[in-house]
Amino acid sequence: MKKTASYLGLAAAIAVTASVSAPDAARAEWKPDRPVEIVVSAGPGGGTDIFARVVQAALTKNALLTTPILVLNKGGGSGSEAFNYAKDNPDSPYKIYFGTQDAYVLPLGTKVNYSFNDLTPVASMVFDVFILWSNPKASGLNTAQEFIAKAKANPGKVRVAGAKAKDADETVVTLIERATGTDLAYIPYKSGSEAAIQVAGGHIEANTNNPSESLEQWKAGNQKPLCVFTSARLTDKTVVADGMSWADIPTCVEAGIDVKDFLQPRTVWMGAKVPPEALAYYTDLMKKVTETPEFKSYVERNVQINKMLVGQDFKTFLDQQIKTYAEIYKANGWLVATGQ
Amino acid sequence: MKISWKAMEVVTAAATGLIGAVVCYGSLENGIAWNSSGPEPGYFPFGIGCLIMLGSVGTMVQALMKRSVAPVTASATGGEIVDDDEPFMDTRGFRTVALFFLPIVAMAAISVWLGLYIGMALYIFYAMRVSAGFRTSTSLLTAAIVVAVNFIVFEKLFMVPLLKGPILEYFGIY
Amino acid sequence: MGNFGQLMDGFAIALTTHHILIMVFGVLLGLVVGVLPGLGAPNGVSLLMPLTFTMEPISAIILLTSMYWGALFGGSTTSILFNIPGEPSSVATTFDGHPMAKQGQAVRALTLAFASAGIGALIGVLVITLMSGWVANFALRFGSPEYFAVYFLAFASFIGMAGGSPFKTLVSIMLGLAAGTIGMDTISGEGRLTFGINELTAGISFLIVVIGLFGIGELLVTIDEGYKFEGVKAKLSLREIFRTLAEMPRYWVTILRSALIGCWMGITPGGPTAASFMSYALGRRFSKRGWNFGKGEPEGIISPETADHSAGSCALLPMLALGVPGSATAAVMMGGLMIWGLSPGPMLFTSQPDFVWGLIASMYAGNLIAVVLVLATVPLFAFILRAPFSVVGPLIAIICVIGAYTVANHVFDIWLALVFGLVGYVFKKLSYPLAPFVLAVVLGDKAEDAFRQSMLSSGGTLRVFFETPLVATMMTIGIFLLLLPLITRVFGAVFNSGTKRGVA
Repeated sequence: MKKTASYLGLAAAIAVTASVSAPDAARAEWKPDRPVEIVVSAGPGGGTDIFARVVQAALTKNALLTTPILVLNKGGGSGSEAFNYAKDNPDSPYKIYFGTQDAYVLPLGTKVNYSFNDLTPVASMVFDVFILWSNPKASGLNTAQEFIAKAKANPGKVRVAGAKAKDADETVVTLIERATGTDLAYIPYKSGSEAAIQVAGGHIEANTNNPSESLEQWKAGNQKPLCVFTSARLTDKTVVADGMSWADIPTCVEAGIDVKDFLQPRTVWMGAKVPPEALAYYTDLMKKVTETPEFKSYVERNVQINKMLVGQDFKTFLDQQIKTYAEIYKANGWLVATGQ
Repeated sequence: MKISWKAMEVVTAAATGLIGAVVCYGSLENGIAWNSSGPEPGYFPFGIGCLIMLGSVGTMVQALMKRSVAPVTASATGGEIVDDDEPFMDTRGFRTVALFFLPIVAMAAISVWLGLYIGMALYIFYAMRVSAGFRTSTSLLTAAIVVAVNFIVFEKLFMVPLLKGPILEYFGIY
Repeated sequence: MGNFGQLMDGFAIALTTHHILIMVFGVLLGLVVGVLPGLGAPNGVSLLMPLTFTMEPISAIILLTSMYWGALFGGSTTSILFNIPGEPSSVATTFDGHPMAKQGQAVRALTLAFASAGIGALIGVLVITLMSGWVANFALRFGSPEYFAVYFLAFASFIGMAGGSPFKTLVSIMLGLAAGTIGMDTISGEGRLTFGINELTAGISFLIVVIGLFGIGELLVTIDEGYKFEGVKAKLSLREIFRTLAEMPRYWVTILRSALIGCWMGITPGGPTAASFMSYALGRRFSKRGWNFGKGEPEGIISPETADHSAGSCALLPMLALGVPGSATAAVMMGGLMIWGLSPGPMLFTSQPDFVWGLIASMYAGNLIAVVLVLATVPLFAFILRAPFSVVGPLIAIICVIGAYTVANHVFDIWLALVFGLVGYVFKKLSYPLAPFVLAVVLGDKAEDAFRQSMLSSGGTLRVFFETPLVATMMTIGIFLLLLPLITRVFGAVFNSGTKRGVA
């Protein structure tokens, strides 16, 4: 019974889209009729995992998606495992992939088996900001200026911790180095929170991080934000610690590090050959997710920049991003020559 | 057919030695030096590969030096000492192990092709009917129960999708 | 004394009928996922996660942690009955638990395991209760060199116990390290030893290794030995359970030592896996019956189980205080914490005392409930072993294949597990020690990461491992433990170029 229905539905959908005349009607009709897989390009517990599970919570609690939802963590190979999976299932309308910039940056710097063309962009839901943190008690660094001065006085000796190699954190560290003419020692850890703990424990001078990963250590006085990598200050004025709020953190440009917007998009993808009506359905679904209270409180808690990109906007953004990253990677000597 | 302990020891040591060499070769790609900021990514794997080869050579020499190798099986039964004359494996032993292992390999192959449920159904039926000699009806029933239990536990209760394959897909089970 | 008052408040929160029902449900579900290989605690947590979205955070965490305790106990069950450890930390339980079960004492083995696990967990929670403030700060003192020292300590203490040919031990450890190296390197972001094979970029999961080496390998050995499994009739009397429980006080020294090791490894980043291996190794060295380890020795079950569970409980504290999860399950739970609107971190203890102390109180109650429930299931599990091997064998084979697939939904992993099965069979017959292989897979890449992070942050000098008293002490003890058996072995080899080596 079920089989016939779905086959007919699919056939009808294909017929309608092929005729081009009334795609909107078909879009309205398409709905997943079996469990939907949320594939997370990271292991459990990290920023991407929480992002995906918040979306899951929003979908479940608000009954936006009535078929069962499966969350699959495929974090192997820095997340390339998830996107390889997308390559292997190019036309499945029941698999959506959650990631960050890694989806398009990984193929630049690492030998991976998928290319950016194996993915269909769905949406960028929200942007995480990056902050440079220090441990004022252990290192005596209270401002970004002091940090830069120390780095200039001790080339190669001031250590900055971050998550993974050749990923967002290391990229931003190389940008700092280039903007200030310093030489920093970047030390990769498995996750951002591990890196934060090393700074909080006084073992490392500084780290770069998404705000939420170091928030609790800031409250405890073990870490202090030096500057934020955005073009304008953050807007949240609630006081966090020492009479300081998110809005009181200077931008890095203000603080003398000429690195403007360095943001981490939280992105959603599908396979390369996914039917257009499914794509339209999930794009719409993700828009609805951003309006749920669960998602709103997630954005607020993580001090994120609430800006959603879909469709052409997202594609333009991606082209821009890939160009920028390719330049940075080229300058860092990280670019790998891929076959494509 | 008889495989002596000595031959098995030597063959195994040769195999591990080969793996060691492959590990060394693979790590060359990542750089094996110790530079100013500590070891390069291939430094440890290269050392590991060398040590595997060293250990393998040692094992092989030990095996060749002894006229008859009389190891103690580390089996859970308490490790009785195997008689010097008893081979590592004779025809009967080989048959027994192969008759057990090859169906598992076949199940894996069928599962990859037609999905895990069909693979396990055929395998259980085979194991019950042919290996254990139960009646056809009992074997069929057991196979059905095993598949049903697994299906309910994985697909329905815990929502862990197992590999389905084209046949189940055709019947609308996904 | 402040802790005690807060604990009482915690009990008031945790011990409501509602929460006790949640604990019972959680433990039962955990037992199910723990016993069914192919499912694990992370599956249980994922399943429950959507349910928790509408719950109070404290109820949600009680549900998840109870499920976790249940899964831990369930994992020990499969280790003992089928030689398939469900979690890295229950590998060491197979060494003596499975032999004892094969000898027809499955009830005794299970009871010993559950009782010592329960005691270990309670000691762990007690340590948390008494030292919560101190533990959180102590954990912050661990930089990369200290991490490395902890792993080194676990390795060093364990390598000594691997009897038999030193060459075979070397090969086994190094193959394990090589297997752990495969995949993406954290420090450089490069793929290593993947040889361009797509499936290898994600690395080889520990679970695949144990399903192959222990699960399938053991099946083949059993077949080869001629169905010895079958002759055994497990005794099913309830009296057997109580008789075994009455045995427990006799082993108080072992229990205490193992709990201490467990708590230490739980508070430091070593974690339950390292704790159980280390406790097993030291148990073997210090026990009067060390020669019997590996053959179904009670102390060989008690040592790893006590340490595993005390470490598991203790590890919860640094996790809550630092926000760094120690295992995949813990990571999912922490994700949950954030979705419920709580942030793990040093301030959680002051900003959410009800939550933290309610959780700690629930750990006392949850573990007690788990022990009682799990003991009640012992006769049921022992019954499985009475079925003839010609039926149980194929079922275990299916479980192994499904288990290998569900780790990451990779068909490739099934083949890999079969290959490891053959390796396990040959290695076991030729008495290559398997335990160091597994330990190397679990701890190898962590140790390497810590080592290279230390090198990066110190500018490449090895002095960093002896700079602070904490790291220097751990390294010295580690080197001593590493050299001790080498020295004795060298002497042994010189004086006794024997033809027959006693191996276990």
